[in-house]
Amino acid sequence: MKRTVRIVLAWSLASLGFAAAAWAHHSFAAAFDMNKPVTVQGTIVQVRLENPHSWFFLDVKDASGKVERWSFEAGTPSGMIRNGFKASLIGKGTQVTIKGFHAKDPSQNVGMLRELVTADGTVYGLFGSQQGPGAQ
Amino acid sequence: MKREVLTLIGVVAVALAWVAPPLAGQNAAPGAASAGPAPRMADGHPDLSGVWWGGADIGAARGRGGPGGARGGGGRGTPPRTFASLYKPDVAAKAKTLGDKDDPTLRCVPTAFGTLNVSLFDVGAVGQIIATPKMVVMLTETYHGFRLVPTDGRPHRDDVPPAYRGDSVGRWDGDTFVVDTTNFTDNTWISAEGRVSPHSDALHVVERYRRVDANTLEIEARVEDPQMLTEPWIVPKQTLVLAPFDRIMSLNCSGVETQALMDAAAKQNTGK
Repeated sequence: MKRTVRIVLAWSLASLGFAAAAWAHHSFAAAFDMNKPVTVQGTIVQVRLENPHSWFFLDVKDASGKVERWSFEAGTPSGMIRNGFKASLIGKGTQVTIKGFHAKDPSQNVGMLRELVTADGTVYGLFGSQQGPGAQ
Repeated sequence: MKREVLTLIGVVAVALAWVAPPLAGQNAAPGAASAGPAPRMADGHPDLSGVWWGGADIGAARGRGGPGGARGGGGRGTPPRTFASLYKPDVAAKAKTLGDKDDPTLRCVPTAFGTLNVSLFDVGAVGQIIATPKMVVMLTETYHGFRLVPTDGRPHRDDVPPAYRGDSVGRWDGDTFVVDTTNFTDNTWISAEGRVSPHSDALHVVERYRRVDANTLEIEARVEDPQMLTEPWIVPKQTLVLAPFDRIMSLNCSGVETQALMDAAAKQNTGK
């Protein structure tokens, strides 16, 4: 039974992931490598709540102190806002941790945002803070 | 064992609840359960005014058929026809050379029709109608599209160049509002999200809007493009509900990063 539960869980999550991807204004699967998760910590330098998709830009410092600019693609801004996100919530200088998936082009510091966590522990997903689990 | 079975059922139920599109009216404005008749304008025709969507927003309104739950267009086991499925052979061959990176919406160009088979949405999932007896204004959210639909019987205008959203005129057929749209450019697609669906400037769209009660709007459409299609595309009927807010948002579109990302991904995927 445990195996069955795991299979159903896997099926459910796969369905949810497909549903989220199916919604996007472009194919996330075409642009990002879902087998290449990435996590970065850094300082927000710009948030663009723009169509077709929102973008978060941040500076990430590595162990040697070198700073690299990363960008993460998120959801459609109107959907994010109706799901609880606000333009004033995250601005320049905000410390965040972003988990996502790396772009298929390995030379780019670009990812698809799966989860953004602020210093106080607030978690935002691809489509905002009050999204359903299907958007994860 | 019993607990594991219950857990299993619970997991599936939760998953399906999020994947399945909400039923019409499920998330409508307060009072939806006691929806009265459609309101009427001063001239007696149904008032189509309101913000309309499929019952939920992005992050919830996804899955089979999209918001509104597209139904029809094929029997059991037969996928509903799409615009592109009706391409003539030479058009279909040319379409195969296009892909996600060629989608005009990546450059903030709207669709000619609508990704969720709802022209009122364009590439988004919500639209607004402001209706008067002489003019019906249709506003889309994501790319700031609009259509001004006169209802006084005037013909299509002949003094403007082709447009992304075409030129519309409307008339009442009983309680059904019929919108006839022509004069499209040929540099948009019917849908977005990489669904390859170019059309010609011979595109002709006829939509039928019916507000069946205070909270429900049904839309049917017939799409003709004799240069591209073997036969007209009959769009599956869409059922929208009144959203619990009274205005759509105005947000910019740049698309620069998204287009660059898709170009880079295409090079990784196909080497060109």
